[in-house]
Amino acid sequence: MSQLTRFLERNLQNPSLRLSAIQIRHLSSQAEEEKSFDDEEFRVLNLRPTQVQRQQRRVYKKDEPQPPRTKVMPVDQDWPNVWPGPRTFHPASVPLPLRQGFTEKNAPPPSKYGNAELMKIPNFLHLTPPAINRQCEALKKFCTPWPKNLETAEKWEKHFPVEIVKSDYCHALPSVRQPEARKVSLKIKLSNLKFDKHSKDKFLRLVGDRYNHENDVLTIQTDRCPTKKQNYDYAQYLLTACYYESFEVEDWEATKSLADMEVYEFEHNKSKISTEAILNWGSSGDKKKVDPGFAKSVETLINEGENEYNLKKYKEESKKLLGLK
Amino acid sequence: MFMLRNTLSSKGSAFVNHFKNAAKYSTETVSALKTTSTPAPQEQDKLFSHLEVELKGVDPAVLKSYSWFATKAANHLGIEVGECYAPRKAKHDRMTLLKSVHIYKKHRVQYEIRTYFRYMNFHKMTGSTLDTYLEYIERNLPEGVALKATSTELQALPEHLKDIPSVE
Repeated sequence: MSQLTRFLERNLQNPSLRLSAIQIRHLSSQAEEEKSFDDEEFRVLNLRPTQVQRQQRRVYKKDEPQPPRTKVMPVDQDWPNVWPGPRTFHPASVPLPLRQGFTEKNAPPPSKYGNAELMKIPNFLHLTPPAINRQCEALKKFCTPWPKNLETAEKWEKHFPVEIVKSDYCHALPSVRQPEARKVSLKIKLSNLKFDKHSKDKFLRLVGDRYNHENDVLTIQTDRCPTKKQNYDYAQYLLTACYYESFEVEDWEATKSLADMEVYEFEHNKSKISTEAILNWGSSGDKKKVDPGFAKSVETLINEGENEYNLKKYKEESKKLLGLK
Repeated sequence: MFMLRNTLSSKGSAFVNHFKNAAKYSTETVSALKTTSTPAPQEQDKLFSHLEVELKGVDPAVLKSYSWFATKAANHLGIEVGECYAPRKAKHDRMTLLKSVHIYKKHRVQYEIRTYFRYMNFHKMTGSTLDTYLEYIERNLPEGVALKATSTELQALPEHLKDIPSVE
């Protein structure tokens, strides 16, 4: 290096020499070019490119990690603004000393930084009490209060006897369709419908086991149509159709004889005639009527069967009827 | 949905109106409405006596937090909150397989999925309140939780069922 500088110094002192040196270099480069053009030599395959200087790899400078945001959060900040919606847990945004999971026995749970356990579970950090309060205040204008005169079930059953039960589903499945959602059931207490004796009997036969004798409730559940709306209309149709059909009297119903009766009725049987004959024995004027208590006891004795209670009741009523002691 | 109700009020086929003209009351008292119920210029609010929400999920802690949120929201909106409970035992869906590929029948391996349930009951809400509330809690449903809302709607007796039909 020092030799080179000295040589250059000497050359600079002599400008003519310097010029000639440049010319020489120029000439020599020209000659080289011609030579490479003329000679058709093979190019050298350099298997080990040791002579080629390696390009310097660019060094990426990594930024210094910022301190967590929680360090600069004020104490009285508005949390719903910091965490406005559902989001995966982020340790630098949550100013809580959370710990979750375990590593080894008798060791404290790992802290919130780089903790997968905290990120896996859905958090409710966007649904804090002030956030719920704020959202509900905004939603209140869409709500209406319950009517004043309908506080108890007795009151609303008086005005609204029909109950419609429907189900809605909300889930994360590949399909948004839920076949169960089409089901509709209609409930009504039969005491709200007006019947006569024949139609009541026929209606109960039509609805079959959809009627609950214990609480007098008829339940019609429909699920044969594909949509909820159709099933609702179908349930209404079924109720209407059964009700109207129960008032239809067929011609062959008139031919029902005493032997066809399902239950024993005192009014239509020989027993009434016999009892009245005994009561009015020998009297020609006003006819005595049979005591309804006696009629009831005869009916229960035959319908429910002979047991100790029914027989005793029948005995008492008979004695009363005949004036015996 | 609750916004649409008012705009779509005048629509609807005659058949639907036949069943729907049974009055659905909202804010006014029953006695006050009795006089004005005959002309129905716009569809009236429905009445729901009961709403049961069934939650289903794999993590009981999430279900608990969610039901806390739902009851809190119901209290804010003025909905009567009924019984809220969770069955003590989860439903176990088990699958038993051979541990080996196809032999050694005595050695099995068992996988199971545990599904936890939680139930919430709400009483006495109008149709618009129910729609608002359900929309709100369904939008905030966390991942991996399924919700089933069963509502009981109150309806008046249809006009054609009020009296004994005249037989021709």
